[in-house]
Amino acid sequence: MLCACSGEQFKFEDAPQSPESLATRDFSASGLSSRTGDWESKLEDVQVDEVESTLKEALSLNYEEARALLGRLEYQRGNFDAALQVFLGIDIKGLTPRMMRAIVLRTRQRKPHRSKGDIIPPSVMSMHSVSLLLEAILLKAKSLEELGHFREAAKECNIILDVVEAALPNGMHEGIVEDCKLQEMFHKALELLPNLWTKAGFLSEAITAYRRALVKPWNLDPLRLASVQKDLAATLLYGGVETSLPPHLQVWGSTTPNGNIEEAILLLLLLMQKVAYGEIKWDADIMDHLTFAFSVTGQFELLATHVEQALPGIYERAERWYLLALCYAAAGQNEVALNLLKKVSGQSEAKHKPHIPALLFGAKLSSQDPKHSHYGITFARNVIDLADQATEHFKGQAHKFLGVCYGNAARISISDSERALFQKESLASLNSAALNMKEDPEVMFNLSLENAVQRNLDVAFDNAMAYSNMVTENSGRGWRLLALILSADRRFKDAETIHEFALDEAGRLDQLELLRLKAVLQIAQERPKQAIETYRILLSLIQAQREPQSNTSDNATISDSENVAERNMEMAAWQDLATVYTKFGSWTDAEICLNKAKSIEFYSPKSWHTTGLLFEAQSLYKEALVSFSVSLSIEPEYVPSIVSTAAILVQLGGQSLPIARSYLMNALRLDPTNHDAWMNLGLIAKMEGSLQQAADFFQAAYELKMSAPVEAFS
Amino acid sequence: MSHSSSSSSSSNPGSPTATAAPNITTATVVNTSETPSSSSSFSSKAHSSIQSLSSIISSIPSSLSSSPNPSFSLLHDPTISSQISSLLRHPDSGSGDNNLCRWLYDTFHSTDPELQLVVLRFIPIIAGVYLSRIALRKSLAGFEAILLAFYAHETNARGGQPITVHVPDLSHPSIYHEAKPSAKNKSTELNLAVISPTLEPHGTMRSTRRARIVGVALELYYSKISQMPVTSKIEFCEFCEIWAGKSRANHKDGEEDHGKKSGSNDDEMEKVKKERRIPLPWELLQPSLRILGHCFLGPHRSKELFDAASSAIKSLYERSLHDIDAKAILATSSLLRLEKFALDPKNNIDHTEIKMENVISL
Repeated sequence: MLCACSGEQFKFEDAPQSPESLATRDFSASGLSSRTGDWESKLEDVQVDEVESTLKEALSLNYEEARALLGRLEYQRGNFDAALQVFLGIDIKGLTPRMMRAIVLRTRQRKPHRSKGDIIPPSVMSMHSVSLLLEAILLKAKSLEELGHFREAAKECNIILDVVEAALPNGMHEGIVEDCKLQEMFHKALELLPNLWTKAGFLSEAITAYRRALVKPWNLDPLRLASVQKDLAATLLYGGVETSLPPHLQVWGSTTPNGNIEEAILLLLLLMQKVAYGEIKWDADIMDHLTFAFSVTGQFELLATHVEQALPGIYERAERWYLLALCYAAAGQNEVALNLLKKVSGQSEAKHKPHIPALLFGAKLSSQDPKHSHYGITFARNVIDLADQATEHFKGQAHKFLGVCYGNAARISISDSERALFQKESLASLNSAALNMKEDPEVMFNLSLENAVQRNLDVAFDNAMAYSNMVTENSGRGWRLLALILSADRRFKDAETIHEFALDEAGRLDQLELLRLKAVLQIAQERPKQAIETYRILLSLIQAQREPQSNTSDNATISDSENVAERNMEMAAWQDLATVYTKFGSWTDAEICLNKAKSIEFYSPKSWHTTGLLFEAQSLYKEALVSFSVSLSIEPEYVPSIVSTAAILVQLGGQSLPIARSYLMNALRLDPTNHDAWMNLGLIAKMEGSLQQAADFFQAAYELKMSAPVEAFS
Repeated sequence: MSHSSSSSSSSNPGSPTATAAPNITTATVVNTSETPSSSSSFSSKAHSSIQSLSSIISSIPSSLSSSPNPSFSLLHDPTISSQISSLLRHPDSGSGDNNLCRWLYDTFHSTDPELQLVVLRFIPIIAGVYLSRIALRKSLAGFEAILLAFYAHETNARGGQPITVHVPDLSHPSIYHEAKPSAKNKSTELNLAVISPTLEPHGTMRSTRRARIVGVALELYYSKISQMPVTSKIEFCEFCEIWAGKSRANHKDGEEDHGKKSGSNDDEMEKVKKERRIPLPWELLQPSLRILGHCFLGPHRSKELFDAASSAIKSLYERSLHDIDAKAILATSSLLRLEKFALDPKNNIDHTEIKMENVISL
């Protein structure tokens, strides 16, 4: 309904013009809608001729304004076509310079301490007229939008931004425009424009429009500002259009966002900061956008800090720990993740519904490190006990991890009976997992590994073959296991064939690993010369890889873990070479190799053990014993050094024999399959005269040696 | 398939301008692929490309050759796309001597960026069928040649360099904010995030590199995704669902009403058996998720694409839970939660609507 405010209507009647004319407002700087009391005084300043010219101006304005009002009525009734027809009658192009001028002059005039000469010529449009016209343009755009002409709508809407931006190049600081209506229309246009461009399918234009709303202070309400920032971030993240910043916005040097993702992350971080400062409420969407952005850029540790910063009450406790654990595990910090997951299954959560994904995740992480195997067993058992119909499919996974953890537990177990129990449990769990998840190659691999460790070589071989048939991405560890099983079966030729095949397909790190295995196989077949050549290739490969890296120290492509693995490989190669040279009797070469190995890692039990063997070969028993004890002081449970110490004690004979035996028993407690230990036990028994016992020991040593892989399975 | 890079320029002997195409034009148009190519040499390249295609697929609409922009029409013509798609999905496709693979390979090596888009449009099917068939251990040299061509193209375009972003440090002002003095002034270490690591040239497909090579092809697809037809994106979503290992029984109906005109029911059954769950390492999953993010939350208005993306992300989420893959769980679950945001109208308050009032103030 057109029902003009009675208060203002009254003032029209007071004015010297006819009541229909809206031009009266042009006398008032603030427009009639403002109820300032100083309108009388302003009237005095106005010269008569100015009144006349104003009237002339006003006549045309009346026409535009009438159309603006009529258009709005039609728009509000939902007659968008009719509204559009009305708005089309307004010559917007012709009016824009005057609107700009009006905004410039009338906002400047509001500054305090204005001089008398600053009076605005009445020919300048009133703010109210400007607002009314801006509204008309906005409604024209919206009518076009309703009619589906998004591109034209966007162009119309753009005019509003152009006008205001040209008039106020430094933005709209608080208080600059007292006419709320103008600001309101402008704000609506700011928010509408990107939507229109998006609907029209011009994403780059939409992004530009968002940026226009954000890079200058337009006095937008903080919530709406945040909403525009969020929309821009989402558009940048998912739009699929790379829109770099125009040159005039690239004034911030290194902090200028370079590319869509960077800009989106900047906006999301700003929003998170606003949440942290309490300027806006917590918004799960922002967090989800940020999670996605950090996931695809691999910034999981940063993501964790944001999860940590969320105020209490946003996440449930268990949920937050689980989320954090996911972040830290994704960032490669499994220990931290595991600690968090222990909390989920801890006392404090006893009354809550169990968080099965967290428990399962805990089981998985625990299965990757033998020292956590007992936690893993608890986690996995929990999942199996809690699994109901809905989570049935997690059961198979839980059995898998349970089996792996039992296997690991067996390997670090110090009691023989416990070990036997764990090994039995491990196979049982893995077999039950295999029943549930026939297609899971991981189960097959672990089943093969566990059988191999327990020297069920035929089963292990079948499982390993099944595994390599399942995986399409041939993994180095699968080939390695297969080759080791074959080597344990004394099928060195087959192992080498497998190995040749694998080497061709393997990735870089796997390749190094496989090369070393090749050398070890060659040694086992008494072909030391070929082995030395293989080591030479291996070491030169590592060297070649290292050189380009030293140039670019900040090269982020090779991870730390890979570097560590490579260093270990290099050290192992030198240690192996030293052993080969020791067997040959070329002491100096062996010593050079050992020094190389020690220069990489001084406190390596194996390096010291090899040193001891070198001394032993030179019949320097005392020095050898010292080296072995250094090795054992680094790692008290390093079985080869225990056995070697015992072996020397056996050689020394006499009173040392009981000590030697105790060493060997200790070694067998740690590693019951160590054939050297059995062998030496046999020697002792023989020296002591218990021939029957000696025969048994030798028999055990022989059988174990016949089923021993060229190096440990795991 | 013995493709050499030199064969690409002379691969269209029927085209009189294939060798005469001036290098200057090709160099300048490369970066402005959005503008329709007006160059007549490109147009004739497109024509010769269409001509060689006509010997491979059964029918080419006559409107295509008379089109003012044949490359664009080729990209968006539904009958041609569906014919090529069903040929690519054929159980015997992808071998080294496959005509269609050769055509795609040659067309990609034409210097016309618009024609290249036509090839990129089929990345979802090529990658999808290829990865699903690895387990069958038969020759897929045709697919591999195309994928390696994509990889080489990207390697070349990036100069082998990784794609990185700097994670912004809010203690410095930016275009969007003034720096607030923070309590703890952390040292301003540059936080470099790697989106795509260094590219090493690979001439052959190895099982250990496969995921990366296909992943880079997907990155190339993503970089042009705004120009890809919706059907192509839907195809990608469907393959993600297959890769994730969703039970194919439910899925089959959806595929059929998607409309493959050719291909008998037996083929269909064959396909169902052969396309299966595949390993999803992060180097393959990460670019896939970026594409899915676009299909899911990007500014398009295709309900069909939204639904396809939604269902793909759900499958991937379930798969990630099953694999207990932390990265995948975080990424897919964040997208899934955003679905609620995309669907809930409450979240879309229109601030731009004018107030409905009965009073007009003057």
